[in-house]
This record gives sequence, C-alpha cells and structure tokens, in this order.
Amino acid sequence: MSVDARPRLPLRPFSRAARADAADTSRRAPWPLVGAGLFIAFLALLPLAYLVIRALGSESDVVGFLLRPRTVGAVAATLALGALVGAGTVALGVPIAWLTTRTDLPGKRAWAVLTLVPLALPSYVVGFAFLAFFGPRGSLQGLLAPLGVERLPSIGGLFGAVLVLTLVSFPYVALATRAALLRLDPAVEESARLLGDRRMTVFRRVTLPVLVPAIAAGALLAVLYALSDFGAVSLLQFDSLSRAIYMQYGASFDRSLAAALALVLVGLTVAITWGEARLRARAGTYAASTRRRPTVVRLGRWRWPSLAFLTLVVGLALVVPVGTVGWWLVRGLAQGEPLRLVIDVALDTFMVGAVAAVLAVILSVPVALLAARYRSRRSHFVESAAYAGYALPGIVVALAMVFLATRTLPVLYQTLALLVAVYAVRFMPQALGGLRSSLGTAGPRLEEAGRTLGDGPVRAFAMLTVPYLRPAIVGGAALVFLTVVKELPLALLLAPIGFETLATEIWDAASSGFYARAAGPASLLLLVSIGTVALLLRSEDRAR
Amino acid sequence: MSEALAVRVRGLRRTFGDVVAVDAVDLDVRPGEMLTVLGPSGCGKTTVLRLIAGLDTPDAGTIEIGGRRVAGSGAVVPPERRRVGMVFQDVALFPHLSVHDNIGYGLRRDPAREVRIRELLELVDLPDAAERMPHQLSGGMQQRVAVARAMAPRPDVVLLDEPFSSLDAALRTQLRGDVREILRAAGAAAVFVTHDQDEALTLGDRMAVMVRGRVEQVAPPEVVYGEPATPFVATFVGTSNLVHGELRDGVAHTRFGQVQIVGEVRRQEGARGLVVLRPEHLDLREVPDGPADAGAWRVLRRRFTGTEILYEVAAADDARLWVEAGHAVRRLRVGDAVALRLREVETVMFPMTHGGLEAPRSLAQRRPDLPDAPDRFEVERVAEDEDHLAHADPAIAVDEGRDLRG
Repeated sequence: MSVDARPRLPLRPFSRAARADAADTSRRAPWPLVGAGLFIAFLALLPLAYLVIRALGSESDVVGFLLRPRTVGAVAATLALGALVGAGTVALGVPIAWLTTRTDLPGKRAWAVLTLVPLALPSYVVGFAFLAFFGPRGSLQGLLAPLGVERLPSIGGLFGAVLVLTLVSFPYVALATRAALLRLDPAVEESARLLGDRRMTVFRRVTLPVLVPAIAAGALLAVLYALSDFGAVSLLQFDSLSRAIYMQYGASFDRSLAAALALVLVGLTVAITWGEARLRARAGTYAASTRRRPTVVRLGRWRWPSLAFLTLVVGLALVVPVGTVGWWLVRGLAQGEPLRLVIDVALDTFMVGAVAAVLAVILSVPVALLAARYRSRRSHFVESAAYAGYALPGIVVALAMVFLATRTLPVLYQTLALLVAVYAVRFMPQALGGLRSSLGTAGPRLEEAGRTLGDGPVRAFAMLTVPYLRPAIVGGAALVFLTVVKELPLALLLAPIGFETLATEIWDAASSGFYARAAGPASLLLLVSIGTVALLLRSEDRAR
Repeated sequence: MSEALAVRVRGLRRTFGDVVAVDAVDLDVRPGEMLTVLGPSGCGKTTVLRLIAGLDTPDAGTIEIGGRRVAGSGAVVPPERRRVGMVFQDVALFPHLSVHDNIGYGLRRDPAREVRIRELLELVDLPDAAERMPHQLSGGMQQRVAVARAMAPRPDVVLLDEPFSSLDAALRTQLRGDVREILRAAGAAAVFVTHDQDEALTLGDRMAVMVRGRVEQVAPPEVVYGEPATPFVATFVGTSNLVHGELRDGVAHTRFGQVQIVGEVRRQEGARGLVVLRPEHLDLREVPDGPADAGAWRVLRRRFTGTEILYEVAAADDARLWVEAGHAVRRLRVGDAVALRLREVETVMFPMTHGGLEAPRSLAQRRPDLPDAPDRFEVERVAEDEDHLAHADPAIAVDEGRDLRG
C-alpha cells in the first residue's frame, strides 16, 4: 500500500463499551466545616461590613465626594499602579522563572534564590532606600557629584511607586510560574513539536497558555499587594487610594468619607479576584504528575543578555536596598545609635508575628478544604471573602477595627489580642494559596484509604493529609510571619500605646528624617526576611 | 524493495553518562507495518523511540524516515520536521485546549482542518466530545484523543510509547485492537513500545526484543515464539523450559527423549547445549502413586489460564518444568505423581560455545504466574568449561539415559 494513499475510514473501531467515564460526584461539605468557613468569612468581611455601614450612615454627600476630581484621580492612579505593577511583575517574573528552571544558565539555583529574596523586603524599606539612593540628594547623586551632576530627577510619584512595588512583588509571579513549569509534563511540549511546531512556536502555543493561570495567580497577588500598599506609596508621595484614605482619615473628622473611598478600592479588588478565580478553575486542571525532567534549553548567545537582565533585577531589588540600609547603619553606629532598643522591639515584633502565623494557618485550613474539596457557591463565597479581607488596605482595616473596637468592644481596643487576631484574619490568604493547591493535588483518596483502615474522618485528615500538606503549611506560616513582622499601617493604628514594632520604629524614624536611626531596625528586618526566605526554600526542597 | 523503508535505523547508540542505554541497534520498519518493541523496563526501548522522534540525539548511528536521513552523519532534522506522530505513556494532551483543538493542533495550515478533525473524532468514536476539555475525559478517552491527535497530520510513522500501561486490563485489550485497526486502515507504519508480551505478540506484524540496550531478535511474533534467537528471548517471550541436550543427526537428545532441532545449529554434530521446551511440547500423564521413585515427577502447582492448564512439576533432584495439560487430563492435585513425555515437535537449541552461554538459572525461569514481571528475569553465566556443565547447576543437569516412566 502506498504510504500516501490513506483511505477515509468508515469504521468506528472504538466501541462504546470501552468508555468508562469516571464521573465526579460532588459531595456535601460536613456542617462543622461549613460553619467554620462561614465564621472565618464573617471575620474577614467584618471591616468591610463596618465600612458599608459607615458609608451608608454618612451625613455627608458621599456621591458628590466620590465624583470629585481628586477622588477620581486617586482611583485612576490606583488602577494605573495596579496595572503597571501587574505588568511589571509578569515582565520580570516569567522570564526569571523560565531561565531558572529550563535553561543552562550558570548559577541557576543561586539566581532562583536571589530573585526570591526581594519578596521579603518591606516596601517602605525599599522605598526609603530608593529615596536615599536615587533621590534628589541621595547617595547616587553624591557618587555622581564629581561628574558635575547637581540634581537627579525625583524618584517619587507613579514611576517610583511602580518601580518599588514591582521589585518587591515580582517573586510572587516568579514562584508561581516556576512551580507550574516544574509541574508541566515535558511530553506535552514534545507532542507539540512532533505536530510540527518549532521551539518558539511551542512556547507561544502551548507552554505560555498552560502557564497563564499560574502567572495570573502570581500577578494577582502582586496587584493586591500594590493596591494595599501604604508604606511605599506614602513615602514616595504617590496619591493612590490607600494614601488618599489615610489623608482623608487624618484630615477630617468625617470618617465616613474615608470609608467611602475604601469601598471603591474594595470594588476594584473584587473585580480582580473574580477574574482570577475564573482562571484558577482552569489552572487546577493543568497540573500533571510527571516524573521526567524537561530537556534543558541551551541559551547560547542569549546567555550574556540573560545574565545581564538578572544582574539588573537583583541589583535594583536587592543590592540597592541592602547596600543603602547598610551604609546608613554604619553611619548610625559611628554616630552612637543604641542597639539595645532595637533588640527589645524585635522580640516584641517576632512574638506578634509568630502567634499570628499559627492562628492564620489554623484559620486557613477550613477555607482551603472547602475551596479544594467541596466546590460550591458557598465555598466560593468563603474563599472570596478571605481574599477580599486580604485585599482591604491595611490602613482601612485598621481604621475599621479602631472604630469597631471603640464602639462595641472597648475592652479589646488597643490590645495585642486584637492586633494579632486582625493580622491572622487579614493575612490568612497567604497560607491559603499553597494549602489549597496542595489539597487539590492530595485529593480525597489519601483520607479515604485511611477511612477504610479504621480511621475516623478527623483522624484520617490529621494523620494522612496534614503530613502531606506540611510543606504548604510551613511555607504558609512563614509567609504570614514574614508579612506580619514587616506590616506597617495596622501596627501604627492598632498597637497598644508604647508598643513599637520594627516597622513602626523605621516609619517614625524615616518620616522624621532620622535615616541612621531607621537603619538599625531596617537591617534587622532585612536579615529576618532573608532568614525566612531560607526557611521557605528548605520546605520547598523537602517537598520535592 | 522499491519503496523506501518507513524507518531505517543503523548502529544506533545513546549513552547517558556511564550508562549505555542503546547500543548498536539496527531496526527496519516497513511501510504500513506495525513493529512492536518488547523489553523489560530500562532496556532502552523508549530511548530508541525518542531518538526516532528526534526528541533525543544519538551518539552514533543513523536514522532514516521514509528514505530521508534525519539523524546521523551530520543530518539533524528537528522533531517538527520528521513527520512522526507520537502517543505518550502519560497521554500528554494539551491541558488548555479542548478535544477539538488538541486534535487540530497539528493541522494549523491544513485547509481541510475541520473536516479532518471531524473524521478523526468519528474514528476514535468521540463524535460528541469535541468541546470537552482533557480533564473532563476518562483515561481511555484521553488516550484515544492522543491517538487522534498524533494521527491528524497523517504522519509517516506513528510511535507509541507504552500508551496503554496506565489503563485497566479490559480497556487495554479493547484499545489495543482499536488502535491496530486505526493504524492499519490509515496505512501508517507504527512502532509500538511495550513491556507487556501479550501486547507485543498480538499487535506486532513483527516484533523486536530488546534487553540492555541491544536488540536480541526481530521477527514475526510466531517466529520469535517458535524459534527464539537467544536464551533471553526464549525465556522472556512465553514460558520456556531450558533443558540440556546433545545433538546427533539434527536431533537433540534430552532426558525426556529426542526432539527435532531447527536452524543452522542442527549441523553442529555432537554439540551440547540448552534446548527450548515450551510447556506445550511436553505431555503429562498421571501415574499410580507408588513408593518414592527417583524418576518420578510430582505436581508442584497448577495454573489455569482459561484456555489451558499449566502444571509446574518437580523431579526428585529438584529439576522443575512447566507442562501444559489439555482439558482431557483429569484435574491433578499438588503432590500427584505424573509421567512426562515429549511430543513430536521442532524446537531450537543454544549450543554451548567457547564464548560461553548465558543461561537462565533454572529450568523454568520465566514463570507463567508472573507474566508482567519481566524485570525479575536474571541470567547468569554458565561456566565455559564443558566439564562443569553437569555440575554447573543441579537443576539443569543433563540426565540422559534415565528412563522416563511413560
């Protein structure tokens, strides 16, 4: 028979008997789980609910206020900030993820670590460092002075805010993309090549589309970070909503207007979360259990541009902030700044962070279970509520909680208990993400095996699923700890009088212009951040 | 042959570090033919497939597809230009594309794309699944989509890498037949890699048996079974008893009597070696249970396959054999005494040469109760010195002259 003469095929060789559809039976969630989930959703939405009540109960002209050019400008600025940071983190994170997983880049592992560390740097520390380095009379200008450079253009405003927030949040995208790349079965890309596509085409038609949900998930975290950020935007004097809310809160006695502004921001966040949730539904189905490692791409003449790109990113995101803080620390020590104070403040801060991290993980378990195991409208609501709580700007949560506490629970007002509880609820989504996707891959079979061997449902979960989830739990807890330790606005407004955290110390000093005094706690925070990253990496290794 | 071979492989070699995965492999795939490649896991069969596909580069040797050099002697044709389709073990459907788009992936420039997709959906009997996503399909459906996707651009050769190994037995048998029909109807040549000998025997027009990176034999399945080229093939494909024998006038004399030997070997007058006796070459008969007799065989265990009954029998010297019994034989119990007789058959013999001979450790190395555990196969070298033959392994001691009862 000639190879080219292929007849049309009338036969239908696949009989229907061969079909065995494993139908997905949707199960009902047990009521304690639903109860816990709804309670957590209630906690997460509490500040939001308060804001709505405040805004509705306002005696001022809320609508008129929202239509003021200044308000509209703040909304536009926030949208621009979110979009640019999202785009920036994708532009940095995706190539970095690809370079550090798929290529023969020299020092791949080291680059992977170095590009992860900026995630740990507090935005206001980086903002302060950029001001002190690139600013009109900063270190760079000092270095360039001999060349006749009198004054550098301002680093503040939209450009500075986007730069700083992109540099501290691109690791979200890099991490998510890396994980998705490692999960992608190499045979998928090989299939595409055998079907006639060149390597670049395969990347465009297969690899990238498969990665999109992961990239989007990472970018969403970065955008939420940017929208919620208070420290960097206010230091760099960029009028995003978060700063506008703070100004409104500080400037007038009518806090309902601040509440109205905050609601606008919440609206933006809900829209983003909704879009991402649609993508995420797809992402869950993309992961393959693969044993094979993908073939390594030889960079060839792209090797040096790749190295230059990574050097630039790490230089800006890591070397400049660390170097600048270090320089001010040395100056401060030379001027006799006391270190003792820094240590006391540090211990207080770590205690708050640790308790909040444990609490956040505990809170995230029912939400993750509902979202991964019992997909329903209710689960979706609980998860969205958690993310909505996370998306609320810290300054607004602080505002809402101050009022709620003073009006309904004065006993709690300005207590550490309230501060820790608010932290745990607010940052729970950071523990939730990893836990949810791990639960997605663990599947209920593990527990079902335990049930057949005589375990009750709780024991099966504790003995079988929890150990499987340990990397996710450790990673989530570390992430929450890291975030709480460097959190600024809540600590500013909710901490008991006289209780300082490293963040508030830095803030006070930096905003008063005492850069040398800020450098002590700042360098400690940098050290802690880097240590936490090391912890994260270890748990990632163990998971592999 | 006027028509070029679908695939022509010569002297193929691929090493990974110190490990020689593929060594001196020659393979021909004729147009429209299905060649199955059988071997234990780690024997290099998947590597051969990847080298043909262009997903890996050989260290030495040449590959031609449809008469065109694609690898070796300076030729490097990338996988996308080899006109090769591949079905992977883990399915590897594009998770972000619907069934329709998966099948249509390789038809981007085909003006009749929609027609072809519809045709393939019909072919694999998934006419209503076009808009479904891969994760919404069962394992069997996914694998059928993978076959359709690989076939869509009408490749010259379709490579299948253990495509059904993750499916259950019934589905596997079903799909096996379906895929064979599809490939036959399409006239595409195919290379089907598997570690399942049933799959290799039933699917292949010809089959290649590989072990440790080398091809031991390439022949039609009946020939591989009936005239295995090496002791490994004899024991890996089907159940074999390897017993000692000596050639006289083209007939091997064994402890069970005489058996015709085929092939060149039969001319080696006086040669001694291992004779392949399949279970069906032997006949067994129940004998009255008398006092312990050195010549008696006793039933050790019994295996019913549905179409036949196999008995493993042991002699007093612990030699063991697998013997097939027809349904006529009354059901025997473990411990029953039986007599063995050689049927009038032709078989092959592996003479002990000066280079030595790789021989299995016991008479019945390949156990029918472990049909899917080829990895357990082990060989050991029999001493070169023929004098040691009788002492090398008591289980295969040549025992001519003993009168078999019956």
